[in-house]
Amino acid sequence: MTTAAVAAAAPPALLHAVGDRALTWLDNHREFFRLTAEERASGTVFERLKPIGELALIMQVLFREGVAGSRQHTRASRLLDFAWRELLDGGTVLTELQRDEPVSPVALEVYATFRQLGYRAPALEAAVEVSRRTTTWKTLEMMPNRRLGVLNAERKAGLAPSEDFDGAVSRTWLGRLPEPWTVQYNIAYDITHTVFHLTNWGEAPDRIPPEIASYLTLYLPAWMEDWLDAENWDLLGELLVVDTCLPHPTLDARIWERYAAAQSDAGAMPAQRGMPEGDTSDVFDDVHHPTLIAVFASAMATSRALQSA
Amino acid sequence: MPLSAVVADVATGVVLALRGGGDPYALSRVLPQDDPLAPAAIRVLGADVLAPYALDHRSAPAGADDETVVRQALAAYPPGPDASEVSVWTYRGLIEASRALLPGDPGDADRAWPQVPRAGAAWITTDPWPKLAFRASQLAALAFPGLAPDLADGLAARTDDLARGFVRAVRRRDWLQAAGLGRWLARLPHVPPTLGLDSGLVFVQQMSDGDARVALHVVAARQFYGRGG
Repeated sequence: MTTAAVAAAAPPALLHAVGDRALTWLDNHREFFRLTAEERASGTVFERLKPIGELALIMQVLFREGVAGSRQHTRASRLLDFAWRELLDGGTVLTELQRDEPVSPVALEVYATFRQLGYRAPALEAAVEVSRRTTTWKTLEMMPNRRLGVLNAERKAGLAPSEDFDGAVSRTWLGRLPEPWTVQYNIAYDITHTVFHLTNWGEAPDRIPPEIASYLTLYLPAWMEDWLDAENWDLLGELLVVDTCLPHPTLDARIWERYAAAQSDAGAMPAQRGMPEGDTSDVFDDVHHPTLIAVFASAMATSRALQSA
Repeated sequence: MPLSAVVADVATGVVLALRGGGDPYALSRVLPQDDPLAPAAIRVLGADVLAPYALDHRSAPAGADDETVVRQALAAYPPGPDASEVSVWTYRGLIEASRALLPGDPGDADRAWPQVPRAGAAWITTDPWPKLAFRASQLAALAFPGLAPDLADGLAARTDDLARGFVRAVRRRDWLQAAGLGRWLARLPHVPPTLGLDSGLVFVQQMSDGDARVALHVVAARQFYGRGG
């Protein structure tokens, strides 16, 4: 590696505070994750399930990384219980979805995290088991990084992955190590999601093959600079997670300080530039994702900072 | 004609010469010594105004008129005590190139080239990558065979950082900076193969929409170092 000394790392207190504030905001706005009866009836459940799945994933990260204080831990547990019991109706929403769309992997993708955390929906598991016997399950057309997500969900749910993981990685954009100067908005998300699924959301950074880790180490700073300049906090947050999955995370203080400064007083992270204005539920739709990512990035970075301290 | 247009004209002349088209190059023809903007244009382009002389079949032998126009520029802009490091390095590069490629006469006080000034080099090892990339791109005219060997050695230890700078410059659509960095990377060993430098240089030229200074860096990378072809 022919580079100068690495950038200064952000202090753990700063890294931790971002997530603590973001989690507080999410907890205070948890009602807005709710699926309405109309949504359940009208087939727009897919869209609303994604945030719930992400909420569960990121609460799992908080538990796993062990960096939550007791108050944060209580909040996260309460949010998870709320998501399972209130939002998913104890899993019924997922089981209904599987019945409506029997060969879709979406319900399994959401369920896998809850199952690892001890929530069970046996009827859903039985339905998924039947669908997995079909060739369709393995051949559904989807983006290569999404395919990794399905394989990871299978792995999490204790099922044999329906395809070879390494082969699936090699079909992603990142797996081919293309020209780094072509990375625009959509490609950047393809990269972050490949890393998330490959590492099971940061649990196993060593699953990143060495040549991909070297590639990311080399070019991630340039991409972070790019999206920092654009004040795209959603994408920057995801790239900050990727940084924590590398063998030597930078936890770059200058970037983290600007990321933290973008957070609203109440703890929400805007998607880009400043906080949107308007109806609370519209604002929630705009900022819940970057705010969840802020919890994720904070938990991972705090954990790495404490490991290296 | 504004300075930017004069600079673009000279850069176009250099590009044509390096590509091997048209009449043999003579600096004093693309930039006559009575052009009041000649010294300023040479200050901007630095050693690149002499680039075709490094490929002897692309130019006429350099003559007294060419020497005069460069001397005027060197006399007009000697770096002062507060000059930026980039200015000093650029000035040095022009003196080094003049010594190598123009007639001069070390035995004749009027025709000897100025002494090369000392140029600060600490930044080459200590600058964080964005700043390093910015400065290196401004010094791209020194990515020229035989020029500034110390600078090239220093930058050879920072190729990963220059590669980051190239990525960043392309993303920002700063084609001149990208081309300058690509030209340095073409000169240096151990450039990361994943950068895709060859297709990158061609891409930058295509996207720059005919910018003559961008074209100059790209053609220099190709003619001097065989990259971006």
